[in-house]
Amino acid sequence: MERVLGDKRAVLILLGPALLLYSLIMLVPIIWSLGYTVMDGNPIVGFTFNGLDNFIKFFNDPAAWSAVWFTIRFAFVMTVLQVAAGYGLSLLYVFYLKKASSTIRTIIFFPIVLPTVAIALLFTRLFEAAPTTGPVNSFLNLLGIESVDWFGTPEASFWVLILMGLWQSMGFYGVLLYAGVLDIPEEMLESARLDGAGGWKLVRTIVLPLSLPVLLSSLIFSINGTLKVFDSVVALTNGGPGNATTPLTLYMFQTSFTYGQYGYGSTIALMLTILCLLFTVFIFRSTRRDLTKD
Amino acid sequence: MTVQTTAIASVNPRGLAPERVPQRRAGGPRRFLARLPVRILLAILLVIMIYPMVWMFLGSFKTQGEFLNEPFWSLPQSWSFENYVSVFENGFGQYILNSIIVVFPSLAIVLIVGVAAGFALEVMVWKGRGTVLLLFLAGIMVPTQMILLPLFTIYFRTGLTGTYWPMILTYIATGLPLTVFMMATFFRSVPREIFEASTLDGAGILRSFWAVGLPLVKNAVFTVGLVQFFFFWNDLLIALTFTNSDALRTIQVGLLNFTGQYGAVQYGPTFAAIAVSVFGTLVIYLFLNQQVMKGLTAGSVKG
Amino acid sequence: MTTASRRLRRLAPLAAVVGAGALLLTGCGPASSGSSDSGKFTYFGQTENTTIIDTLTTLSEDQCAAEEKAAPLTADKSAGAQFDQKLQLLAGQDALSNMSMAAGTPSLMKQFIDADQVLNLSDELDELGLTDKILPAAASTIEALYGEDDMYSLPTEFNIEGFWYNKQLLADNGIEVPATWDDLVAAAETLHGAGVQPFAADGKDGWPITRLVGNYIARDIGPDALKAVADGDAKLTDDEYVKAADAVAELGKAGYFGDAVGSIDYNAAMNQFLTGQAAFFYMGSWALANFNDETQNTIGLDNIGYAPFPEVEGGKGSIDQVPANVGVPVMFAEKGFGENQKAWLDCIVSNYGDTVLNDSGVVSGFTIDNPPADLPETTQTVQQVIADAPSSILWFEALFNSKATSVSQTNGGGLASGSLSGADFMKLVQDANDEG
Repeated sequence: MERVLGDKRAVLILLGPALLLYSLIMLVPIIWSLGYTVMDGNPIVGFTFNGLDNFIKFFNDPAAWSAVWFTIRFAFVMTVLQVAAGYGLSLLYVFYLKKASSTIRTIIFFPIVLPTVAIALLFTRLFEAAPTTGPVNSFLNLLGIESVDWFGTPEASFWVLILMGLWQSMGFYGVLLYAGVLDIPEEMLESARLDGAGGWKLVRTIVLPLSLPVLLSSLIFSINGTLKVFDSVVALTNGGPGNATTPLTLYMFQTSFTYGQYGYGSTIALMLTILCLLFTVFIFRSTRRDLTKD
Repeated sequence: MTVQTTAIASVNPRGLAPERVPQRRAGGPRRFLARLPVRILLAILLVIMIYPMVWMFLGSFKTQGEFLNEPFWSLPQSWSFENYVSVFENGFGQYILNSIIVVFPSLAIVLIVGVAAGFALEVMVWKGRGTVLLLFLAGIMVPTQMILLPLFTIYFRTGLTGTYWPMILTYIATGLPLTVFMMATFFRSVPREIFEASTLDGAGILRSFWAVGLPLVKNAVFTVGLVQFFFFWNDLLIALTFTNSDALRTIQVGLLNFTGQYGAVQYGPTFAAIAVSVFGTLVIYLFLNQQVMKGLTAGSVKG
Repeated sequence: MTTASRRLRRLAPLAAVVGAGALLLTGCGPASSGSSDSGKFTYFGQTENTTIIDTLTTLSEDQCAAEEKAAPLTADKSAGAQFDQKLQLLAGQDALSNMSMAAGTPSLMKQFIDADQVLNLSDELDELGLTDKILPAAASTIEALYGEDDMYSLPTEFNIEGFWYNKQLLADNGIEVPATWDDLVAAAETLHGAGVQPFAADGKDGWPITRLVGNYIARDIGPDALKAVADGDAKLTDDEYVKAADAVAELGKAGYFGDAVGSIDYNAAMNQFLTGQAAFFYMGSWALANFNDETQNTIGLDNIGYAPFPEVEGGKGSIDQVPANVGVPVMFAEKGFGENQKAWLDCIVSNYGDTVLNDSGVVSGFTIDNPPADLPETTQTVQQVIADAPSSILWFEALFNSKATSVSQTNGGGLASGSLSGADFMKLVQDANDEG
């Protein structure tokens, strides 16, 4: 039997196509780009070797550090909020709405389908302060609070970005986690209920531990998505005001393609990759302990 | 791999069977009042989700002047289809077709190839599989922006520029890490005994992948497929980098057509284009959703 | 789980395979686009600009029909936001189209010129005997823009900039057309006091704000002041330069640009001016297309006046020096420039100016042989200003590198809303310019 599961030819047939495509179109370009991290220049003027200059520049570049800080802050807040909201929704679907959840699930899921360009236009109008007063500011005015220029200050822009991301993605995480919560064997819930567990206690002792694997996948998925946030920032604030909402991806893109510094751009990308790696390993480590306490 | 709890968690998928929950909750006014807060919350949530889409739809009938001078919540002054006409005069039909031509083959290939790889990496036993899995995992962390320049060079030198291939190949490659990783995770939760038993029955490993492994992770394949679909469908960066001509533009790139040289946005046609693309996506989604549901219920019957 | 060292050993062969693949790919021979004349005339432009491609299509059916037959026009396009990126990628492969819109940032254009990617059009036009088809003002603008003595792009547009004003609003408040900056500030104060928003401005894109800074510098320190910065002879952080940014920041602090100006985009600003909500609007003459559109313009075409950017008292610049730009000009690739492409260049230079003015009402930098009879008055004013201008000045960021350009424009909104001081703004821009 081990011989069958270890059939080399079968491994080749099953894994070969994926590995080939992945190597040619991802790995080769990645290694290629890593080569640029010790270079200066761009495809037009040519590349020259400059050793570790790009890395030294990165560590002394205030704009890069402000991008790192924004990226981490955004990724952390966004991941926590969207996974938490998604998990809340999935519990709502499974334990409260049950069979009736299909329509509601679809509606709450739907924003993920909308083009980011469209959602950004929408949120610009929702939070508009001038020339016309948008609904959010109208509501504030109603409460006697003066209109806020949401896109004029770094802090307000940050939270509008978060709200937009949450609006767009929470239904998506709801559906993603729904499948995991649904897979919890009924027998286990049953026996826990017989033991007198209900409501919050049931969730804490049975549901949460048993849906940890899918929560873990969601967390890793979410953190790697939010660390690489690009489209929504470009469409909503374009990194502004100033560079207050510029994530590493946008800074990297501008450096390479607008400023024509491919070497430095690749260095920024490498730093972002390392950041993603650190966060992923961190999540793995901190949850694995719970999973494998056998 | 020692994640035992995971294995337990996913045996006997319960599917859509919550009706087995004991009916100890009788109706009555107290029950109704207790549920009221949740209901109100749910209602607010639905309004927050639905209203923007209604707004976009209404916006598709408005003129530029109405957008700039009327309040946010005003209704369009006339129900003219002018914006929709200008959308299709701009070749939007071709963009929709392009999106479909690019996204669906990519999706099919990434799923087939990715599921097979996940199986080979998690179920089969061979030297170095941990390393290869890590290699795929690394791909999740690399920002796409990083590989654009090398890829552009590769596609150009191989003469693929100006076809659908750069987009399709890039989607497949960028979609693979997540697909392989998630499929490996799902295969991990299937008890190994099932595969061992099937190989003892004399089935070849390829057959047991097809006949035993695949049906077991059907739900997962749909979930991953859904995730990847929206990645591909909403992608702007890759499509923008690898398309130059109208013949290749996707919906997302096409939406930028309604922005002027100095930053002026034609709101009406933009929203009409969004409405058209959203309607198309809705049809696809409802179709897929039905498939997902079918998959889920099929699983519960077997379990 | 395997140990780290064992894993590494297993990784080695794989890395070798991947590395070999990379070598194979990079070394897989010369780029395939070898021939010098493809038998086509390829054009690559920004999606947002439909004027150029429409005009080319018209020409291909009429005056340039012979050229079209020999080498048919084929056009590609890309979104403006990513256009420079696309040009870089194409130039990196030696694959620029025969004709394309020039890079938006002059510094990128300079790289193309230095790498011999784009054609020296002065030489070509000389050879074709068409040098006098280009307006001198337009030619000098293009030369100054790239810091070259020769022309490397064609002025498919030629715009002047200045303050457009609402005649009615000025008359109602007893304001004369301002001739000096102090007049302008006084006018703004009067309007603001009367409850009228003095300026409409696109603070979201930033450039309409930084133009004011640049023009103030040109009026105050002199028309070569920004060249001195580009050459490293002066710094934006010098007091006399900071003064200009402060002057604009003062307007912002006083609220003369209106509420939340950082959120006002191009459309909204244009709309504010054209619906009578603001008195002054600094903009280029391309906006005439909007002014002439009656559905957008509710204050009436006759109600709009043009005021050149005012003088600064005691400044070395003069009000005659018109802020000008060539929009997005077009360039020709060195590679693939054969007889067919040359014929197209000849035909375009000879006929573009008349066709685009007659069909689209766009004022280009080509001389006009058959002016249309019924031009709107404002368009005539613009043509007159161009004809009378003894010299032109470039905009604030024209000679900066692309990073400084981007930093300047993203922070322009901060100046307009009064949240950024002149000194801070200039420091940000100067730092970015030093780096590149």
